[in-house]
This record gives sequence, structure tokens and C-alpha cells, in this order.
Amino acid sequence: MPHVEFHNIVKRFGRVTVLEDLNLRVEDGEFLVLLGPSGCGKTTLLNMLAGLQEVTEGSIVIGGRDVTDLDPKDRGLAMVFQSYALYPTKTVRGNLKFGLSAQKLDRSEIERRVQWAAKLLQIDRLLDRKPAQLSGGQRQRVAIGRALVKNVDVFLFDEPLSNLDAKLRTEMRLEIKRLHQELAKTIVFVTHDQVEAMTMATRIAVMDAGVIQQIATPDEIYERPANLFVARFIGSPAMNTLKTTAVRKNGCIGAVHAPTGVHMDLSAYPFLAQPRDGDPLVIGLRPEHFTIGCDARGDVGARFSLPVRYTEKNGSDVTAFVDSADGELIAVRFDHKHHHVPKTGDVVEIHFPKDRFDVFDAVSEKRI
Amino acid sequence: MSAVAASAAIPVSRARRRKRIRGSSIAILVFLTMCAAFVSLPLYVVIVTSFKTMEQIALGEVFALPTEWTIEPWRMAWSEVCAGMTCEGVSHGFWVSMKILFPSLLLSIGISAVTGYALALWKIRWAGTFLFVLFLCAFVPFQIIMIPLVLLISSLGIFGTIWAVAIVHSILAMPLLTLIFRNFYKDVPEEIINAAIMDCGSFWRIFFEIILPMSANIMIVVLILMITTVWNDYLIGLIFGGVGTQPMTVILANTVITSFGVVKYNVDMAAALLTAIPPLIVYFALGKFFVQGITAGAIKG
Amino acid sequence: MSVRWNWVSPRIALIPALAITAIAFFGAIIWTVWISFTRSRRFPDYAIDLADWTRQYERLFGDNAWQTALQNVFVLALGSALAIVFGFILAAMIEREKRGEGFFRTLFLYPLAVSFIVTGLVWRWMFNPDLGVQNFLRGLGWEGASFNWLADSHTAMYGIILASIWHGLGFYMALMLAGLKSINTEIWSAARLDGVSFWRLYIEIIIPMLKFTFLTCAILLSLGVVKTYDIVLAMTGGGPGTSTWTPAYFVVNSYAARGNIGFASSAAVMMLVMTAVLFLPLVLVTAWQARRREAMVQ
Repeated sequence: MPHVEFHNIVKRFGRVTVLEDLNLRVEDGEFLVLLGPSGCGKTTLLNMLAGLQEVTEGSIVIGGRDVTDLDPKDRGLAMVFQSYALYPTKTVRGNLKFGLSAQKLDRSEIERRVQWAAKLLQIDRLLDRKPAQLSGGQRQRVAIGRALVKNVDVFLFDEPLSNLDAKLRTEMRLEIKRLHQELAKTIVFVTHDQVEAMTMATRIAVMDAGVIQQIATPDEIYERPANLFVARFIGSPAMNTLKTTAVRKNGCIGAVHAPTGVHMDLSAYPFLAQPRDGDPLVIGLRPEHFTIGCDARGDVGARFSLPVRYTEKNGSDVTAFVDSADGELIAVRFDHKHHHVPKTGDVVEIHFPKDRFDVFDAVSEKRI
Repeated sequence: MSAVAASAAIPVSRARRRKRIRGSSIAILVFLTMCAAFVSLPLYVVIVTSFKTMEQIALGEVFALPTEWTIEPWRMAWSEVCAGMTCEGVSHGFWVSMKILFPSLLLSIGISAVTGYALALWKIRWAGTFLFVLFLCAFVPFQIIMIPLVLLISSLGIFGTIWAVAIVHSILAMPLLTLIFRNFYKDVPEEIINAAIMDCGSFWRIFFEIILPMSANIMIVVLILMITTVWNDYLIGLIFGGVGTQPMTVILANTVITSFGVVKYNVDMAAALLTAIPPLIVYFALGKFFVQGITAGAIKG
Repeated sequence: MSVRWNWVSPRIALIPALAITAIAFFGAIIWTVWISFTRSRRFPDYAIDLADWTRQYERLFGDNAWQTALQNVFVLALGSALAIVFGFILAAMIEREKRGEGFFRTLFLYPLAVSFIVTGLVWRWMFNPDLGVQNFLRGLGWEGASFNWLADSHTAMYGIILASIWHGLGFYMALMLAGLKSINTEIWSAARLDGVSFWRLYIEIIIPMLKFTFLTCAILLSLGVVKTYDIVLAMTGGGPGTSTWTPAYFVVNSYAARGNIGFASSAAVMMLVMTAVLFLPLVLVTAWQARRREAMVQ
């Protein structure tokens, strides 16, 4: 089975450079999600892989074969589009077959593949309907089916779930994951939704401004974001980031948040590079790692006493936004079954565990 | 993201083509250029001929450039050429057309905008039915109401005047323009009207202070549609215009078709160009709106 | 009791439009239909002779010029339909080859801003044997070239068709281009990825997707053909003989030249019938499309 490689890809639209010297390798059978905000170049990258857009410089290799100058149809891949791009004048069966028309296959083989895909996606009873007569989820299945019948090894998905409602989206997420496990094909999936990325991917490539910020497993991305962008982009509510100054005292490293005067104990943090005394640091605190009140467990790394600005209840948990004294709010998430919910204006004591800090250099914004 | 993908799609294809121009591209461009030649040749011939002398025209080289450029035909066409019995050029027709144009625009757009506004934004029973009736009226051939309109206009005592022509233009344009205005206004959020009513706005105040200032785009579209329709009309001007109040197209047709003696083609063509220039200026100046205008005019409904 | 102005004003505002519709359209149509059953000649005569109420129509269908006019409508409709075909081809080419889109679109569309009268005159000159294309081609050495179509009653109609195509080509191109642009760009991408051939893509996908655009074009074209008047007047004046008469020309001629109101009315009523027959499918299609759009939303 093929792997996909991008070598030194440059993409310019006129004078605007969208991608600059991008390298990426997608392994065999991998489910790679390209994740990033609008305009980060992820769809451009996918379209170039599909052959729908030309690369300005660099090369694309699929399974050891340089496909940079090949027509889309000769690249041996299939794509599922955001709007599904079903042919509205053809039935579901017609849609599944039409994609095969260019490959010279005999009738029975085409029929066999259509039946196989229809069964796999549970659309076998819809084969004679037109796309207009299908629901959103059914259209989505047909779009996937059209890719499946082509019997290729690489599948591309361009934000295929963004047109579905929340419930269907969850369903289709599981469905696509199941297909990936059953078929063991290589999938490149573009999305701006971190939940999709976290739940489906075997690896995630987080992109911003045409640059891959980090490429790693979902856990790695969440636990050890490589830079501030990734740290802030992944997680909901987003990670709190506080501007601090490094303090070395008695060989222990800490950081002081000037507006609140809070000292954070970084002695348990596995530094990649030791900061010097006085270095500006940005400390990342995930809202869900806070504990509130007397509930502190393990080694406390930082202790805040701050007034609550407002709270948001979300079923099982509560997010409180506390004022960090320099105008920014710190989000704190906790389970509300075990606590009384603080009211606006209450001063709460919150703790952050020693081993959960993320530390970034304030200048380079990279993890240190 | 989709917006980015969409906006990205266009420059991409350009970059792609700069790289390799294909045979099919060349074939397409050649075919398009040939069609463009077919479309532009008549205009070219007329322009070129209008600057030639009669001696050169007699040689018969239609596509040749003038050997000696002369604006004499244009001068004659404007102020001297004979239409039937009167010999005062097409300039008289030009001014008549102008005088017809303005009341036509004012009347038709005034009535249609208010009607479209009332139908789109004020809950009126049978509005749907009335719109459907207007839709039907928009396609009624003029000939079927021509004769009774002549009698009607005569009974008002204005037959043969500029007002007669302008009123008939307004009547004929009203259904279509109302549909266009209504389709534009129906996309105005209902909340705006409700908010305005809450603020003690009356029907007319809301129209003049809120709706009309929002209508710049559609006004341009409708203006272009009406200017070209009224200016290019022949039949209404012929039937309802009297001696001295016939529009430019009628004067032009009389000049060219019923001319006596030696035909001065260069003068005729200059006269035709003079008649065609105003709508062409509108077209080339406001091309984008022009396309919207004619497609809005064509489709409906 | 105070007057509720916000109830009254919108209704007052509708009065002019209602009056125009009732008098100038409905009243006038009824008047014309009524008159077509009377013996009216130069002046309206409102008495219907019940024993002989179809006299105008009998005369009409016995009239050779009317027969010619009817035939010409068909010839003109079929011939001008080429404008739709070429309009589509041009639109497809412009859409495919994005280069020069603005230029070509502007160029193909400008004849629409030119009046039928000027169009007719211009083409009259193009067909003029001493002046136009024929002379040019003979000058090039093609002695047998014959472009004097308008002088021959068998070919004059083709001349008018050519001029009509010239005038309308850009319009149908613009409608088709709007239709093509409304097609989801991902459909084109999907077809490229599927490696679908050019012909199959157009014949099996694109043209079926544009069938309503085609139908709209066809109906608009036929409605335009029924009303064809100015261009005939400018090009041939109906001639040679009555060979290029159209129904619209016939009505105006019966009224203005012959001064026969009753006869002109009967021909006008036939025009209305033709329009209604052509128009019905448009109404149905519009209604059907609106319903389909609603179904899509649900």
C-alpha cells in the first residue's frame, strides 16, 4: 500500500505565497487529519494532492510514483467533497457507476463493486433514488460510496462533515472511522473541527499560515503542544496562557505572574531547554486540570485566589471565568456535581497541579 | 474554509494554464475569436463606412479603412439629412427621444418601485395573485393592447404628444419592473420593517427614508433596462408619436428606408450610429449591471 | 375613529398599478377580443352579428399574407434556435477557458444594446449587393458569391434569421453562462477526479442539469419571435412581396396601413393565443421549480 509524500511544496497564487517549502509524509494505512483555521492552506494542500490545483514548486509522490504532473484521474485516489458533489441528474446507482466509467471495467465487476459499497454503507435500498430525494446523511454516504467503488488506496476527504447537523456528524465520524479500520486504506482528511481530528485521526497535522505547526498523534498534540498556536487551537475551552517571568531560586525553576503575583512551581516540568532567570515565559494551563477549593490533590504547582466574572454551565460540568487581574480571564472547568457553583463576584481558590504545566518561550512561542 | 477554497480556485487555474497551454485551449480561443469577429464585423463596417466619402464607398471595399477620413457624413446625419419630407437631420429625433426618456423613467420606476415595495413588505391579501397577474401581463404582446390604447390616449386628448409615448412606455414596463422591484425588496428582512413601524414610521416615510436608500443597485439595473428599452423602441413611437414628436428610431427608419435619389450610405450609417450610441455608452459604461438588467428582465417572476 | 394609515397607505399605493392592470391590460385585451368578433373597419363598431361572428377570422385565415406570417414564425423560431445552441457552446467555452472571459462576454453581448431598427439596417447593408459582403467576396475572386438574400423571397427570411441570431446570441450566452456558473464547482472537480470524458460530462451531467435554463431560453425565444416586428421592417419592410411578414407585422400593417380595426384585432387575438400556448409551459415550469426548491429546503 502506498504512502504519500510532499517534497518542498511551494504554492503561490500570483504574488501571494500560500505554502512555503512544505514537507509531509503520510504513512501507509494512516488516517491523517489536516487541521487548521480557515485560510491556513490545508484545502489547497489537499487539492494539490488530488491534482485539482497545480503545485508551483516541489513534488508529490504517491507510493513511490511522482504524480506531480499527472491528471487527477491518473493518481489512483478518490475524494469526498464538502458539498458531496453528487451528480444531481443521476440516481445513486448512476453516481456510483459514473466514477468508474473512465476505468474500462466489465459490467459485472462494476455491479459487484456498487453492491459491495452500497451494502457497506447501508445505502442499498436507496440505489434508484436521485440525490435530491436523499437526506444529508444519506448523501454523505453516497459520496463516500462513490469514492469506495473506485477501489483505490488513498482517500481524500475535504471537510465532508461540515454540512451535517451535530447528531449526524457524530454518527458519520464513527462510520468513517469504522471504514478506515475495516478497509485499512490511507486517508487524508481536511477539517477545521478539532473534535473530528481528535476522534478520528491516527495522526494530526496542525496547520497555520501555510506551515505545519505540529504533526503528531492526537494525544501528543493535546498533551505536548509544540507551540502556542497548537496549544491555543486544541482544546475547548481553549488553554489559558499567562505571560510570566522565569525565576530561578535555589536551583528550582519557577515563574511569576506579575498581575496576580502568583508563583508557579515548574520543578516537575520536563524542560527541553532550561530558561534563564528573568526570561519571559508563557505558561499554559488547561482549564480542565484546575481544581477548586479544598479539593487539591497531588502536588500543587500554583495557587490562585481570584474573583469569578461569570460561569457557564454545560450539563455535567461548569466553566468559571476568573479575572486574572490584567484584564484577561482564566477559564476553569470543574465537575459541578461535587462542588457548589461559585457565583459572580465570589473569590475562589483554584489550584493547578505541578505536573500539568505547558511552558513556552514568550518570544519564539515554542515549547521549551 | 470553503470560501478560501472557492476564491482560491480561480487564480489557481490561471497558474495552471500559464504552465502548459493545451491544444484544446487554442482551439477554443480560435473558435471564440471567430465568433467575436462575426459579432463585431457589422459594427466595424458601419463605423468605417460612416467616415468614408461616397467615392470610396462606390469602390465597394467594405472592410477597407477610409482613405480619407471625413466627418461630413456625421454632420449631415445630425443636422441635414431628410426623413420623408422634413430635412433637419436626426438631431430633432434625438431631442425628442430624450424628452420621452425622462418622463418614462420617472413614471414607470415611480409606480413600479412603490408597488413592488407595497407587495413585498406590507402584508396585503391577494398579493400573490396580483403578482401572478403581473407576471402574465409582462408577457402580453403589445399588439393586442395597441388599438384600445390608441383610443384611450386619444380620449385623454394627448395623442401624438411626447406624454402619450411616455405613458404607453410606462404602462408596458410596469408589470416587469414591479416584479423586479418586488423580488429585490422581498429579501429585505422583515425585522427592518417591523422595527421601522415600531419607531412610528409611516408607509411613505419608511419607503423614502429606509427602503429607497437601500435600492441603489436595483435602481441602476432598472434604469439601464428602461433606458435601452425606451431608447430602442420603434413601434410605440411610430404609433403614438405625432409629427414632430417621433423618436430617433422612427426618424432613422424614415431617413434610411424612404429616401429618394442617390443613397448616401455614409450619411445613413452615421445616422444609425448616432441612434445606437446612447444605449451603447450605457452598455459599455455599466456592463455588469446591464447583464443583471437583461437577465432580470428576461427570467421573471 | 382614527384612520389606520399603515393599513390604508399600502392599498392606496397599489391603486395606479391595479388601474393599469385592469384598464390597460385586461380592459384592452377584452376590448380587442370583442372587436375581433364585430364588423368593425376604420372605426370600432360594438355590435356583434351573431350569425356571422367569425367573419374576421375567416378572412384572416383566408389571407395569404397571414399564412406566410404563420410559416415565417416557425422558420424564424427554428432558425433563431441556433442562437441558443451557439449561446450554449460559447458559454461552455468561455466557462472552460477562463482567459478572456470578460472580453468575450462584453463583445458577444453588445448587440443586445443595439435597437432592432439599427440591427436591421446594419444587416440590410451587409446584404446589400453593391455595398456589402457579396461585393467583397467577388472582389476577392469568388465570382459566384451570392449574399443578396434579402432580394429573394425564398432567402429573405434567412437573412432576418441571421440578423436575429447576431442580436440575440449574447443574451442566450449570458443566460447559459449564469446557468453554468451556478453549477457547484465541486461537480467539475469530481468529474476531473473520476476521469470522465468531456463529452460524457456535458451530455450526461451538465446539459441535463441546465434543462430549465434551456427551456427558459426556448420559451423566451419563441415569445420574442411572435413579437418580431422592427427588425423585419428595417431589413425588408416585409418584402419582397409579403414574404417576410410576421404576425406582429401583419397586425400593425392591418391597422396602420389598411386601417381595419376589426381585422387587425383578430390577428392580434391570434398572437395572444400563440403567446398563451408558449407561455403555459413557462408558468408550469416556474411553479414546478418553486415547488422543487421548497422540497430541497425541507
